This record gives sequence, structure tokens and C-alpha cells, in this order.
Amino acid sequence: MLFLTGKSLTAWISQLTMDRTVIAPVKGANDLVFFQPVTGSEAIFIKSQNAALSPKDWFFPRSEAIMSFVTKNGKTQIIPAVMEKDAVIFGIRPCDARAISLLDKPFLAEPADALYQERRNRTTLVGIACVTVCQECFCTSMGSGPADPKSLDILLTPADGGFAVQVVTDKGKRLLEKAITQDKELVLPNPPEVKTVPSSGVTEAMRKAFNNIYWDRVADRCIHCNICSFVCPCCYCFDVRDYKEKDKIQRVRSWESCESALFTRAAGGHNPRPSKGARMRQRFAHKLLYFPDIFGDLKCTGCGRCVKNCPVNIDIREIISDVQKLARE
Amino acid sequence: MVTAYQPRIIGFLCNWCSYAGADLAGTSRISYPGNIRIIRVPCSARVDPLFIVKAFQYGADGVLVAGCHPGDCHYSEGNYHTRRRLALLHSFLDFTGIEKERLRLEWVSASEGKRWSQVVTDFTAQVAALGPRAK
Amino acid sequence: MSQPIRDKARELLQTKKVECVIGWERATDGVTARPLFVYDIKDVDRLIFDQTCVHNLSRYLRDRKDKTTAIVAKPCDARGINMLLNEQQLDRQKLFIIGVVCQGVNERCWGQADARQQERCQWCRQHVPPVYDFLVGEKPASEPSAPSYPDIAEFEKKSPEERRAFWEEQYQACIRCNACRHSCPGCYCQECFAENLDPTWVGIRIAPAESQIWNLVRAFHLSGRCVDCGACEQACPVNIPLMLLNRKLQKDGIDFFGFEPGLSAETAPPFATFKKDEKLEGGE
Repeated sequence: MLFLTGKSLTAWISQLTMDRTVIAPVKGANDLVFFQPVTGSEAIFIKSQNAALSPKDWFFPRSEAIMSFVTKNGKTQIIPAVMEKDAVIFGIRPCDARAISLLDKPFLAEPADALYQERRNRTTLVGIACVTVCQECFCTSMGSGPADPKSLDILLTPADGGFAVQVVTDKGKRLLEKAITQDKELVLPNPPEVKTVPSSGVTEAMRKAFNNIYWDRVADRCIHCNICSFVCPCCYCFDVRDYKEKDKIQRVRSWESCESALFTRAAGGHNPRPSKGARMRQRFAHKLLYFPDIFGDLKCTGCGRCVKNCPVNIDIREIISDVQKLARE
Repeated sequence: MVTAYQPRIIGFLCNWCSYAGADLAGTSRISYPGNIRIIRVPCSARVDPLFIVKAFQYGADGVLVAGCHPGDCHYSEGNYHTRRRLALLHSFLDFTGIEKERLRLEWVSASEGKRWSQVVTDFTAQVAALGPRAK
Repeated sequence: MSQPIRDKARELLQTKKVECVIGWERATDGVTARPLFVYDIKDVDRLIFDQTCVHNLSRYLRDRKDKTTAIVAKPCDARGINMLLNEQQLDRQKLFIIGVVCQGVNERCWGQADARQQERCQWCRQHVPPVYDFLVGEKPASEPSAPSYPDIAEFEKKSPEERRAFWEEQYQACIRCNACRHSCPGCYCQECFAENLDPTWVGIRIAPAESQIWNLVRAFHLSGRCVDCGACEQACPVNIPLMLLNRKLQKDGIDFFGFEPGLSAETAPPFATFKKDEKLEGGE
């Protein structure tokens, strides 16, 4: 089996930082772990469970200027956003990697989002398998798993003072050329056991339970903040507005959430989703009904961030269970 | 040649007293540093803390709010509210790293042209001594 | 504590005195708590009260202005109700307040059974709600009288540059999820200043400069109104120490104006009044 010692991993990352942007989990504000650009491997922190926010921020930034407009001598120039260097996301978990392949479905469908596409093409995903499981994870019920190599370019599994290396794609193979690997006899431990959720058939169950008062009841406690959508690695609602800077106009795209009250309010004041229940239902309908209807997969990877962070414990695992029960009634 | 640091100061002046006072300084040909950019408001109470925080965000090194003397407000009570609001904001911004010396509230009447130029000269020097705000 | 709350809730629903009882139940991690809306007597036994009940339930009352509601209220939550009554946001006749004597609540840490007590609870001077229709729990023999803000005093030892750097790191962490705003009983504006388009005070950009305006101005809009319930800090997904900002304004509100929000539904808040001859250290 291919093996990377800790030392060769450090050397590899140093090599990569020379001509690429390397994004990895680091300890940031308030002792939380965030995916951020690194200049070397010292700052990288993979001992904890998953980072507080997912690396979707790299492909679909929380806020970005998608283009600028400059007017000079009566002529208007459009300046597109530019991706300067190739990139590597190091230390991404299988659930977050799967989430990116789910994001690919809307973002790369014709006509593809050019910015997303460029970043996607020029970024390599080097994943780390999970050796422990959080209370809130349920990746195996959502098409992934703690050591799932799908959606990654390389999968590293912690073992024996280093990492076992599984090359998944050609892109990963090319990136690995810069590393010094060895061949080692390794017996990898079984991936940890993950709690399951009755996700099979939930799309049909959602369809049946669509008009149930259940959604209003759950929505009672929802405070309609943006936490769930923002921490979710596969949510992608956004808003676009133009802002005047000193010498140019910037078109900014930022994260938004279907939960927020003003999300669907149109000019003139009409809001097709004015009630709390309608908005609550929308989030889960998108994830469990509309997205699978259109793209064939549930829009959830079981990372558990929404469960952990929702201030009022709206728990998608509970919703899935409840919806299955309601559909049987 | 090294130029001395020139702070950028925003002034919110109430129309009836302090703006008139600043005008008087001008017509009397009393000079004072030109670092201050004046924004006229109907009353010092019109100055929303948002204006002040935004001014700092946009790069102001100092903000000066000027109004009528308490008791002389053109709208009777506006400046009493300004006084409370700015006292709290002043202390609060200091807590967040925008030093106390960068925000000032002054009462300048329409006849106090000289005093206006004194205030601005004073405040400009005070802000300059702090150096530019870290961006 | 839980049983008397359940009994009272049952009685209120049975006699149709209220349509709904808002309280807490156990969350799906088996450890923390979450808000519960009880419409039916069969759900009354789900109600609990303990040190994991951190939310300020008074923020839900704005969605039920014209409906009869009972609410389980810790002292800080009851201060929230007083503040809202003061601002004409609630109809007292439609409310039944089940007050609970509170010994402090814990940090809301998902899945953690041994979470520590919230710092602000150490300095609490009001273990009995200032307003209630029914009280659960024993009133303490005495309450500390002097306001206590050692956290603020400690922070103020930092130099201006240290303070600036501290908050800058927080502005970078802020993702503008607005959970602070939505968990707060005082943030009931139909359209928040942050949503204003003309002028755009904050805008949609999620970046440190905008987060600075957002956090500072939201705190300032709550000055004289924030009841020190800590719901915002508990809701924040990136653990921004919001209570430092809010408590600084509380402390100054007491020092400058002698006012503490939420103690009464009648006293005019500091920005609604003034004293002609007061001397305030405001840079003037």
C-alpha cells in the first residue's frame, strides 16, 4: 500500500504551497477549526472532528465579487474575477467532498457557472478518512461514509504514524507526483460505525407529507436565521447585488438562506412563502424532494453541522424519521 | 520628502448653530486645518451612530459632532438626546478599539466662529497624534 | 422544577385560559434543551426546566401577539417580556407568565453533558423573575445588590490596539447568519437596518468591514434594551463573545443613566428621556 510518513507529508505540503493555494483545516478564532489558506503544514489541524464550516467556501465563497465594471472615457469594461493559482484542499472529509460533487450538479449544469467551474477544474481534493465519528454524523445514510473515496482525488487514512494513500483520480495521481511515498504493508482498521437514519424512500415520504401541519409545528421554534444553510456543505442559495466602490462597480454574490423571512419577498412586497411553516418545509423539500427529483441524489451528506449548530435543535434526522412516519399514516 | 501624516476628519454639524458658527469662521477669515470635511445635518440628534461607525469604516481617522449648546437647540430637545447617545457610543467604540480621542462632541453656537476654529485645530492635532487608524 | 410547570400548563390548557404553552423539552442529543410549543394536553409531560434551558423564549411572543399564550420564563426572559411591554410590543392580557426561580444556565454545547455554567450567571442579581403570574421554585433569602461586570473590567485592561485586533478576529469569523438577531427578543424590527437598501448600511457582502458595522450597530441598537439573557451568544455558530459588547453597553447604561432594562414595564428607557443638566463624559 502507498504510505506517506508525517515528514514526507510536511515536505509535500511545503512543495505544494510554492505554486498553489493550499487550503486546510486550521485552528482559528474562538478555538474553532476553519478551512483556510496555509503557507506550510505546521498550522494544519486534523485531530478534531470536522471543521466548523465546510470547504464549500472555496468553490462557492460566502461573499465574492463575481465581476467588476469600470468606466473610462465613456467606455465600460467588464473585469471578470480571476483565479490566480491552482489549488489544493487538504484534509477534506468524505462527507464534505461528496457535498461538492452534489454542488456540481446545479453549478456545472449548462450553462455552467464559470467561476465555480474554473475553481473546480483547478482544485485537487486530498481527503482524510474519519477515524472517529461525531454524535451528529450520519454520512452512511446519505451516500457517503467515513472512509469513502468517491468525490475525492486522493484519500489519506491515518495509520502507523503516517497516512495510507489511495489515489482515486488522475488529478490526484498528478498531484501525488510531488510527494515521496513508500510502499508499506498496512492493515487499516475498519472505518468507525456511524449511526443510521431511515433515508431510504424519504423522497416519496416527503411528497406524501407535503401538506401536513407538521411543518408549521416544527417551524414554531425555528427562528429563521441562516445558520443551517450557511454551515451546510451542500446548500447554495445566494443573493447578487451591485455595489459602488470608489472607482468601480462590483457585482457581489453572497450566501443567503431560504429560511430567512425576506428571501422570497419580491419588489412590491409579495412573498410566496410568507409563513414560517412554508419556509421550514421548503428547506427540507429542497433537500429531500426537489433536488433528488431533478438531480437524482438527496441533497445532504450527513455531516451533522446543521444538527450541531441549530440554536433550537431542528434536527434533519428527526425530520426524516417523522416524515417517514407521517407518510405511513 | 516625507509629508507629515494628515488625518482625515469628518464633521457632522447641526445646521442652526455649529454650521453657522463654522460659516462665521470662514467669513471672518479665521483659518483652521483643512483636514475636516463637513456634513450638514438639521440637528446634532440627526447623527445616527451608524453615520459615525460608517465614517470610521470608510477611512475617517476622527469624527467630530457639533451641535447647539444644551438649552439652545433649535428643535428644543435634540441635543439632550445627542448628548446621551454620543456618551454611550464614545465609550462603546473605545471598547472596540476605536480610541476615545477619535470621536468628539462639541457645542458650538452660531456666534462662535473663533471657538469653532479652536475646536477643529485642537481636534485635528489630537487625532494626528494618534496616528492613522489600523486598517 | 419540571412537574409544577407541567401541572400548571395542563391546568391552563384544560381551562382554555391559553391556546399554547411555550416552554422547553429535551433536545435530540439527550442532553441540551430546545423550545417546545404545547397546544395539546397530551404533550404537557414533555416540558422540562433545568440548567440547559438557555433560550430566551420571550422572542417567540412577537409571533403570537393576538393569541393567548403561557410562557415559562427565567428571570432574564421575564426581563425580556418587561422590555417588550415597555415598548408596546405585547398585550399583557394575552400572556400568562410561569416564572421560574433560576440558579443559572449552562453554555449550550451540543452533546456535552458537562457543559459549564454561563459566565454571566455568576454575576446574576435577579434569580426571581421581575414579572410573573405563577412562580415555580423557592425565592432565595437575598440577592446581590451591586452590579457586577468583572468581564468588562478585565477586557478594558487591553490596549486600544489589542482591543482592535481582538474584535477584528471576531469580525472575520462572523458569517452574518443573523442568529444573534433572530434569537433576541429586542430585535423585532420588520426591516432591520442591515436590510436597508437606500442607503446600504451593511449590504449583502460577508466580510470583516461589514461584520464590524453589523455587530457594533446591532449591539448599539439594543443599548438600554438588552436584558442580558445571552441568547445571542449561545446561538452564534462561531462563538463570537457577543455578551462582551452587550454587557459593556449595559454597564454604561447603569453608570451613565442609572437604568437597567427589563426591571419594569413602565420606566422610560434612557434614550427616550434626558436630564437637562446632566454631565456625561462624551468627549464634549
